Amino acid sequence: MAITYQKKVAVFQDNVGVEEAEELLEWLIKNPKSKLNLDDCRHLHAANLQVIMAVKPAIAVWPKDAKLCVWLEAALNLKQGI
Amino acid sequence: MTPLLEQFLSEARDCLQGIAEKVMQLEKDPGSTVMMNELFRLVHTLKGNSGLFDFPEMTRVLHAGEDMMDAVRDGRISYSQELADRLLDAMDFVNLLVDEIAANNGEIGADYAQDALSLAELLRQLIGSETVVAVAVDNPPLALDPEASSDRPVPELPGLGALPEEQRMALYRDAQKGASLLLVEYTPDSECFFMGQDPFFQARQIPEAVWYSVRALEPWPQPAELDAYRCNLVFLALTTATPEQLYEHFRYTPEQIHIVPVPPIVLALPQGDTPEEPGGGSVYEDFVADALSRLEADDMSGLEAVIRTMQELCSPDLWLSSALRWLVLVLELEPDNRRAQRYLVESLSTLAAPLWSTLKPRVEAAGVDDQTFGEQALSEADARAFYDILQAQGEVLSLPDGDIWLPGRLNGVAAALAASHRAAGRNNILPMLETALADALAAGKAAPLRAWLQAQLPETDAAPATEAAKAVPLRNGLIEAEAESKFGRRAEDVYSGPKTLKVDQDKIDNLMALIGEMVVAKNSLPYLAGRAETQYGVRELARDIKNQYAVINRIAEEMQDVIMQVRMMPVSFIFQRFPRLVRDTSRKLGKEVNLVLEGETTEADKNIVEALADPLIHIVRNSLDHGIETPEIRRAAGKPEAGRLTIRASQEADRVYIEISDDGKGINPDIIKRNAYEKGIIDELTMERLTDQEAVNLVFAAGFSTATVISDLSGRGVGMDVVRNAVEKVNGTVTLDSEVGKGTRIRLSLPLSMAVTNVMIVESDRQIFGVPMDMVVETVRVPRKAVRTIKKRRTTVLRGRIVPLLALNDLLAIDAEPLANGDDQLATLVVRINDEHVGILVDDFRETVDIILKPMAGIIGGLPGYAGSALLGDGSVLMVLNPKELV
Repeated sequence: MAITYQKKVAVFQDNVGVEEAEELLEWLIKNPKSKLNLDDCRHLHAANLQVIMAVKPAIAVWPKDAKLCVWLEAALNLKQGI
Repeated sequence: MTPLLEQFLSEARDCLQGIAEKVMQLEKDPGSTVMMNELFRLVHTLKGNSGLFDFPEMTRVLHAGEDMMDAVRDGRISYSQELADRLLDAMDFVNLLVDEIAANNGEIGADYAQDALSLAELLRQLIGSETVVAVAVDNPPLALDPEASSDRPVPELPGLGALPEEQRMALYRDAQKGASLLLVEYTPDSECFFMGQDPFFQARQIPEAVWYSVRALEPWPQPAELDAYRCNLVFLALTTATPEQLYEHFRYTPEQIHIVPVPPIVLALPQGDTPEEPGGGSVYEDFVADALSRLEADDMSGLEAVIRTMQELCSPDLWLSSALRWLVLVLELEPDNRRAQRYLVESLSTLAAPLWSTLKPRVEAAGVDDQTFGEQALSEADARAFYDILQAQGEVLSLPDGDIWLPGRLNGVAAALAASHRAAGRNNILPMLETALADALAAGKAAPLRAWLQAQLPETDAAPATEAAKAVPLRNGLIEAEAESKFGRRAEDVYSGPKTLKVDQDKIDNLMALIGEMVVAKNSLPYLAGRAETQYGVRELARDIKNQYAVINRIAEEMQDVIMQVRMMPVSFIFQRFPRLVRDTSRKLGKEVNLVLEGETTEADKNIVEALADPLIHIVRNSLDHGIETPEIRRAAGKPEAGRLTIRASQEADRVYIEISDDGKGINPDIIKRNAYEKGIIDELTMERLTDQEAVNLVFAAGFSTATVISDLSGRGVGMDVVRNAVEKVNGTVTLDSEVGKGTRIRLSLPLSMAVTNVMIVESDRQIFGVPMDMVVETVRVPRKAVRTIKKRRTTVLRGRIVPLLALNDLLAIDAEPLANGDDQLATLVVRINDEHVGILVDDFRETVDIILKPMAGIIGGLPGYAGSALLGDGSVLMVLNPKELV
């Protein structure tokens, strides 16, 4: 399992594949105030990315992977430099 | 390059040729459905084949072609000239790719991606599907030209300011020096997740990306309504990679990306602390006003001085300082870009980053600043047209002056020039034109007007533009024009001959026969040399002839080798049918069999390989039917359930060996013996005497079958004897050994080629005969004393073995005794017949020669004692014996 669903936090690990997206979406809908822990996430499939972008859950821990972090920040419209 | 790829290229060329032919035929007979189907099939085949390889460009074009042909076939669109043209264009492109692949060691350069895309679009346009239109409009293939950016707004790049200022400045410098700065907009297909794509991963891998972002294509719906598996993302990235790199990266989905060159100025986003107290604002405002006026007045050095002072006053961390740094940089690298400079200055008063997306393209900005509506405002096309008009008028003016209608002509030219200049916004020069016209009319000559026109022409910026326009077809023009200029290369234009030839086998056989005659003819030279020496006594000439013979001999041998190689084909040709055969047969028999094929690349003459096909099938079927047991029996015998059938081909010297072995139950000699006895093949005595090995070999006897029930596989008694006959027909041999419970091994030994036979010439009763060398074991001279007679048959002991001796004269019914030599020794040719050695007594041995063995035909074809005949170098006929039948 690339995503471990804890009580209020979904922990992403390694490479999160396309098949996780549906479950992630359902879980986020069911637990609207939950957060994501992306600490150990190296890559997530675009389907997961768009789920995160659409639902905009809070990110508890940003990924260690710097490049992924920049992408996610851009995707979630954070740190708009202008 | 792999053999598969080579095969593909050769087939692709054939297919393309076929497509071209079919299109031509369809031109004559557009209604023919047969032809249409044939054309579709060819395109379809080619597409399918190309899919085996990593050539997305080729597959893309062919796929579009296939779709189009499908539509034609179904009558959704009608076949037209235009359609044929586009199809041919596409095929020319594919041909180009094929050449590229062949020349480039199996690779296609990324620069074809664009062409592939536009061609595929052109084809799809004919079908009129909607996706196409979007793509076609949205993706001008040449939007990469920096000038093209002038007519599109600068894209918005949110978050770009997050990049460190130093990095952006470095990028800006590089871009000003000519490095590319491109914005990639990647819009994956909404169904792409179902095609196993991960656009995010793809986007993360965009080469040389310096900035990236992702946004939604359409606003996000409520989470509950979101379809997680419908891609609604647009990825953006700013990259310094070249368009080629980008197309290479997105070569599978080039229609989903959109590349726009970005003016480097967008990088100029000042970042820094903004002063907290508003009091400083007045200082800023003064500065802005000052800088703007200096900018207006073109006072560059003054402006720089002001900026420097300001920089010294402010902390470098301030937003203001950052903006000033950018201003200095822009002044340095883009001194003419007033608009951008003013934007930067103005931004200081608002302390907000300049919105570069509102910045009008540079050319237009310059025009507005100058307040002159110059010819620069002309679009490229207009400029060209303008230039053309001037040229045409110049030609009119250069006509001879003598005509009475000269004034009318001059007036006409002047009117045209005036109108075109007015249209081009060059009103200021019109008075000059009028004076020139007046002069010309007064003088009755065109010269004054022509001089004026000549004076105008060089000034026209349009002149170089025309050349440019000629070199690069109009950007806004039809894509067709593009396609035409790039791959308008018809097959006939540059004819690169096909690498593979399909030659009728008869021709090769003819060639083979000719080289055979050549070998024979060449053999006559030594005779000639001999005659020159012995008969005419000219040694010199004899030596020269021998030298020449050596040369011809070498060439002839090489030729023979080459022709042999042409005829060679790998045994995989017959091996390839076995996996299927074994699978089907074993399924039918309820057995499990693993087939192992080895040495498939071993080559042999085509005739040999073909002659092998049927015997091999017999053997394999036999092994499956009689050899390998059912899984239950095998398990009981402690063997793995799945039997193993190995077919191994190998080459040793000039023979090919094919070995078929199984790990089945083997052949029980006792059962064979009893069976053979019951069928009357052997008598009781023989049955007692036979060794196990000999018994096993009884399976080769005609009419033998061990199977008690006749199945559709075997048991009809026409098995192994047919195999042996077929193999022996091509000078091969079959050996079989078997061990009860362990398995059976059948070994076929075949000559590599059957074209040239090496024979030994022997003499008997003043006649010469040939004996195939592969049967000859040795030649010995047996002293007459050593010959013993046992039961009226002559025998002798050679190397501890009793060898029966037969006189060739007796065998051929020649009424003469074999001659002995001076030492009273008999020339004995020991031959191997069915693993037994037999000595044949002849009068003398001669040399061995290579001959082309011609089988006997007609009435003498029925004589079994002869294998055939051959021509010798001196023109005499050599009869080649077949000792097997003779003895």
